[in-house]
Amino acid sequence: MRLRNVRTGWRLTLSELGRSRIALILCFVVPSVFYAVVFLITSDRPIVFKLASVSEDAVVTVSPRNEGLVFIGLAAVGVLTSFLALHLTQKNPGVNRRLVLCGFGTSELLTSKFLALVVMIGLVGCYVGAITPVFFRPERFLLVLAGFMAAGYVYGSYGLLVGALVRRELEGILFIVLLANIDIGWLQNPIYYAEAQNKALIRHLPAYFPSQLSMVSAFTDKAVLKPALGSLAYGTVLLTAALIVYSRRMRLRK
Amino acid sequence: MEDRAPVRTGGHVLEVQGAAKSFGRRSIFRDVSFGLGPGEVVGITGENGAGKTTLLRIVVRLLAPDAGSVSVRGRLGYCPQDMAVFETLTVRENFAFFAAAYGLDGPGRGRLWAVEMGRLLEFFHFSKYENAVVSTLSGGTKQKLNFCLSVLHGPDVLVLDEPYSGFDWETYLHFWQFAGDFKKRGGSVLVVAHFVYDCSPFDRIYKLGEGGLTCV
Repeated sequence: MRLRNVRTGWRLTLSELGRSRIALILCFVVPSVFYAVVFLITSDRPIVFKLASVSEDAVVTVSPRNEGLVFIGLAAVGVLTSFLALHLTQKNPGVNRRLVLCGFGTSELLTSKFLALVVMIGLVGCYVGAITPVFFRPERFLLVLAGFMAAGYVYGSYGLLVGALVRRELEGILFIVLLANIDIGWLQNPIYYAEAQNKALIRHLPAYFPSQLSMVSAFTDKAVLKPALGSLAYGTVLLTAALIVYSRRMRLRK
Repeated sequence: MEDRAPVRTGGHVLEVQGAAKSFGRRSIFRDVSFGLGPGEVVGITGENGAGKTTLLRIVVRLLAPDAGSVSVRGRLGYCPQDMAVFETLTVRENFAFFAAAYGLDGPGRGRLWAVEMGRLLEFFHFSKYENAVVSTLSGGTKQKLNFCLSVLHGPDVLVLDEPYSGFDWETYLHFWQFAGDFKKRGGSVLVVAHFVYDCSPFDRIYKLGEGGLTCV
């Protein structure tokens, strides 16, 4: 892999993203609106729920508003980064294949796209992290922020994989909605999880570890090494799968 | 009078032997053979759906043939029929991306690609759009960029799919002037076009149709 090519690809991919001004603005408007809605409609009366990754007996008592804010922050970062990632791998297939034909390595191309995505995960994650203390003070802010980044990493990698797998934009959007809506948009909310009939299914979904990382850090002082490592592993598996599928799609014939 | 395209061996920079391609049950072409020698300009025409673009995609390895073989000697430049440029990058940024792909921005090479880019922009009269975002350009100017990206690295063999569609008459003449200079330097050109206005620039023209290739 030629680092010079990765750097050029990364810089130019960021230039492309930077010119999608309305999309960029929406990346900051969407979490703001999500937070405002949660803040306005949820109650502040404390509720009790279990935190899955700590133990089955770990019961916390928190305001549903605060819990909802962390949950919606995770959903915002996860969904936005997965759509951005989908855009990166699915758009311009003809030009990207032409680049590969001209000598650009497939892994160089995907790495440069991934690094551009990392910048976007950082920007969106930091923005969501920055507005969280406006509404409430989490126990361990930096680890909550790490959870947001982890959600971006896992769902960003999922978006890259979907973009590499399906060629049409509508199919890609529906694939992301299919998983994101039910996973990071619903089942990972600890309030649902605590009473779920089949918790094993929820534990295997992509947003499980990032949401546990943020939730445990926001409301307890318990260890979060396991959800942190789990997020890293889950994201890396998805990213590797994206690289394999993307390489197959871009490969030249003998 | 039409003859079956001769199979010429030896001395070719590009050679296709017995190529066949089908999509599902639909046979596009079969037993297609032709060669392109150094300093030759060869055209392939044919009706819509005859398989011209499919044949070129096989030549440049974007598609695999069902049968037959393709060999190319030297550096290949390929201009696809569809506009394969980054619409949200500027003209210069597109050149930079392809310069990296061709390995023209490596250590010790400075910005030689930028000099070559300047020369191409000047030749095809679109220097003033160097820093314009491609999506704001006319179709003809985008096509100039599409073509120029295929010659940035100084290829030995040019494979061009409808390279002058969208060109105005002046640019069309510039294109053939460029191709003529390229040929004089020993470069070889394979051009696919729906129809040919003027046969004089070509050394040979083939027609692809009814499943095979015939020399016109």
